[in-house]
Amino acid sequence: MRNPFLGALLALTLVLAPPAGASTDAEAASAARATAKSTADHAAFKVLQQPFKSGPEVTRACLTCHTEAAKQVHKSKHWTWEFLNPETQQRLGKKHVINNFCTAVPSNYEFCTACHVGYGWKDEKFDFTSQENVDCLVCHDTTGTYRKVPGLAGHPPYKDMEFPPKSGRIAKAPDLGKVARAVGKSSRDTCGACHFLGGGGDAVKHGDLDTSLKKPGKYLDVHMAKDGLNFTCGTCHMTSGHDVPGSRYGVTVAKSDAARMHMRGRAEGNPATCESCHGDKPHKARQADRLNSHATKLACQTCHIPEFARAQPTKMKWDWSTAGKMDEKGKPFKLKDSSGHESYDSRKGDFSYESNVIPTYVWFNGEVQYTLRETKLDPSKVVEINRFEGSPDDGKSKVWPIKRFVGKQPYDIGNNQLVVFHTYGQDDSALWSNFNWDKAIEYGMREIGAEYSGKFAFVSTEMSWPITHMVAPKADALACRQCHAAPGRLDNVPGLYIPGRHGNALMDLAGWSLAGLTLLGVLGHGAGRIFASRKAKAREGEGK
Amino acid sequence: MWKVLGGVVLGLLLCVGLAYSMMSRLMFTETQSPFGMEETVARIQHNIQKTGNGWELSGLRNPAKAVQKDGGNVLPVMMIEACSTKYSKPILKEDTVRFLSILMPCKVSVYKKDDGKIYIGTMNAGLMGKMFGPLVGDVMSQVAEDQKKFLLFDPSTPAPPMILPAAAGPATGGGGGGGGC
Amino acid sequence: MSERIYIFKGFERFWHWAQAGLILFMLVTGFEVHGSYKLFGFENAVDYHTIAAWTLVGLWCFAIFWHFTTGEWRQYIPTFDKVTDMIKFYAIGIFTQAPHPYHVNPQRKHNPLQRLAYLGILAVAGPVIWVTGWFYLFYDKWNEWGWDAFLSLEWVAFFHTLAAFVFLLFVIAHVYLTTTGHTPLAHIKAMITGWEKVD
Repeated sequence: MRNPFLGALLALTLVLAPPAGASTDAEAASAARATAKSTADHAAFKVLQQPFKSGPEVTRACLTCHTEAAKQVHKSKHWTWEFLNPETQQRLGKKHVINNFCTAVPSNYEFCTACHVGYGWKDEKFDFTSQENVDCLVCHDTTGTYRKVPGLAGHPPYKDMEFPPKSGRIAKAPDLGKVARAVGKSSRDTCGACHFLGGGGDAVKHGDLDTSLKKPGKYLDVHMAKDGLNFTCGTCHMTSGHDVPGSRYGVTVAKSDAARMHMRGRAEGNPATCESCHGDKPHKARQADRLNSHATKLACQTCHIPEFARAQPTKMKWDWSTAGKMDEKGKPFKLKDSSGHESYDSRKGDFSYESNVIPTYVWFNGEVQYTLRETKLDPSKVVEINRFEGSPDDGKSKVWPIKRFVGKQPYDIGNNQLVVFHTYGQDDSALWSNFNWDKAIEYGMREIGAEYSGKFAFVSTEMSWPITHMVAPKADALACRQCHAAPGRLDNVPGLYIPGRHGNALMDLAGWSLAGLTLLGVLGHGAGRIFASRKAKAREGEGK
Repeated sequence: MWKVLGGVVLGLLLCVGLAYSMMSRLMFTETQSPFGMEETVARIQHNIQKTGNGWELSGLRNPAKAVQKDGGNVLPVMMIEACSTKYSKPILKEDTVRFLSILMPCKVSVYKKDDGKIYIGTMNAGLMGKMFGPLVGDVMSQVAEDQKKFLLFDPSTPAPPMILPAAAGPATGGGGGGGGC
Repeated sequence: MSERIYIFKGFERFWHWAQAGLILFMLVTGFEVHGSYKLFGFENAVDYHTIAAWTLVGLWCFAIFWHFTTGEWRQYIPTFDKVTDMIKFYAIGIFTQAPHPYHVNPQRKHNPLQRLAYLGILAVAGPVIWVTGWFYLFYDKWNEWGWDAFLSLEWVAFFHTLAAFVFLLFVIAHVYLTTTGHTPLAHIKAMITGWEKVD
């Protein structure tokens, strides 16, 4: 485990070995292209008839025809890993945010940039203006053989390598020429190559995005179902000019966003919303009006994604503070939970996984406030990595389902700020090689040029993720009683009166007591009458 | 006079109604588990194996999978099946009560409810047995004793792995592995 | 010596029983929507309650028309004459076989306590439950109509439930008091046939 490379690569459970039936996949892909009515067969292009030795070589070939493509990609978050929130003026994006999963990209570029749409981002000196460093294939591969491996700074392996190290599994070097000649539209597989594996493994980060969406059943995703509508990601995230709409960093939430939440065909707005296809009065059947009016306060997702992680469990907790324990031989070790998922890893700490998670529900108006590295935090409280803003009466919030991910991570006790630490690298400061927090944090903070007091501790953090994928079939939407009853799904959401859940307790008590007393009273009165009339009859009898 | 009779009838009806409404709660018990879904299943499975008295796991069913195949969702539910020939044999040998084989194998159900918590459902074997004469009553009261041990958890021990049926994959629909009864 | 007089006319009897059925049904479904118990299932209870509400609205249109065209509305003009006698009768006289202090006739078919109670139900609890009920029914439109600004569902529900409790108390007392005629079933028979025996 002294080999940092090995240690680090074991971290990701990315499935990198190409599928056994790679050639049949390629055939299927070419058949798909034939039916896609494309006017171009890339296999016929001269410039692609060459044995490419590296990714940038392929890109140079692509750019001979697609002259504007790289410049378009340069503007996208997929390339910049940066987003300036126009409302909060916070500088976000993978480059800046510290989350509570793998925490931060800086000082770990070589590893993290396996998911960058570029080649060679190994340190902060990366040239963001380079066109040939744009990776076209990672999104446009149709063969399923093109994969990038953490540790290679965004390059695919150019010769077969064992990955994860000492696992006995081989990450095959893709045949770049073959991949280039078979390019096509992006697919669930290409988007999923990164987005299904966020946070360091399958289903770890989002809870509503994982590899089960490659070929989902109808129960899991009514839109993407392989035997149903068979949407790709791009069907909703309608991309044009390499600009992919629908981002977590600028969420389209509620009716005030009506302009942004456009109907298909209009120029402005975000097409990746439910409303862009379904409109704002989507219910047609029984109690349509009532349900449509629910949609003024509830996001569609709240009822229509009743649980997330319905195909495989997602990570719910990551406690970095327990990292670094060694087994009796002094070696790092791993433990598994009952379902076979990792519950401890010496390099990462404790985890817990859960499937069919019932979401947390919050008022959300689309505004998100991040605790950035510069933000001063209060270590006596749970630090909100990101806070979803919203309230019942701001007129623009809706109740949204979220995944609340909790953890513990290091912070600078001198400055009360989150720290960047060096997890992976071929040096003796990386946490995953030496299990030395002091060195890892010092290195990370020096790398980003930030002040560090030299002392750290662990602070509890939580992060919120909007749940918006894995829409269930309509028969599985929340039923009335799941909220209109006590206990109900929305019990912790303030500012709602939900009939069937909480009447005025005092009035209920008074009302039912009075009803009971009245009943007792009339019964008593009746009994008195019966008794009196018997007596009267008896007297009459005596009288006779 | 008719009022007295009426009162008696009303009282009887009330009792029957009350008994009827309580019957389900008497026949079955539901307790909340302190663990997650898989861990609860795994701990019960290991408890069953530790109980002795011939108890063996005979299957792990996941009825939710069948619903998924059909294009629908239900919250997770897993049924642990266990059997002991020590208890099944005397009942299966006796013609008059052989029909009770429909209660075999012994099941413990683990499921999640809308509050996000995990629950354990069991049949009240003792009470059930009493309805079918002394032979069955005796066997079932022993089963009930063992059943209690299935649900004794020791949180200080680490979570054991879930035991999946040999044939089927990770708790796939229907298929409970062989063994037991 | 007793004679039979025709007190309750055909429409009146139909109105009474239809309304009785609907109110009972709405109490049952309404308190389910309120969350007091489970019977039909929430969405069914909501549906049934809504249908019954509109049926009752229809019935009332006829009833109001009938009351004003026939002048029967005068039956509800309150009077305090003999009220204390009535209370004394229910508290004491009824146990000592005292004669009923009030004699009905087709022009004055309700005793003073009835007049007050019915007027209270018709003029106070009724309007409260009607108005809040309509707010409830059109909750979908509050937003569109701008009523959001001055209405809160919590208070609408509060007064609707409050009035429902008043109706519940009324129903209990009313049903019991129907048994206080000559014989326990005398008043109920009268409401079915229209004919009442009077001394």
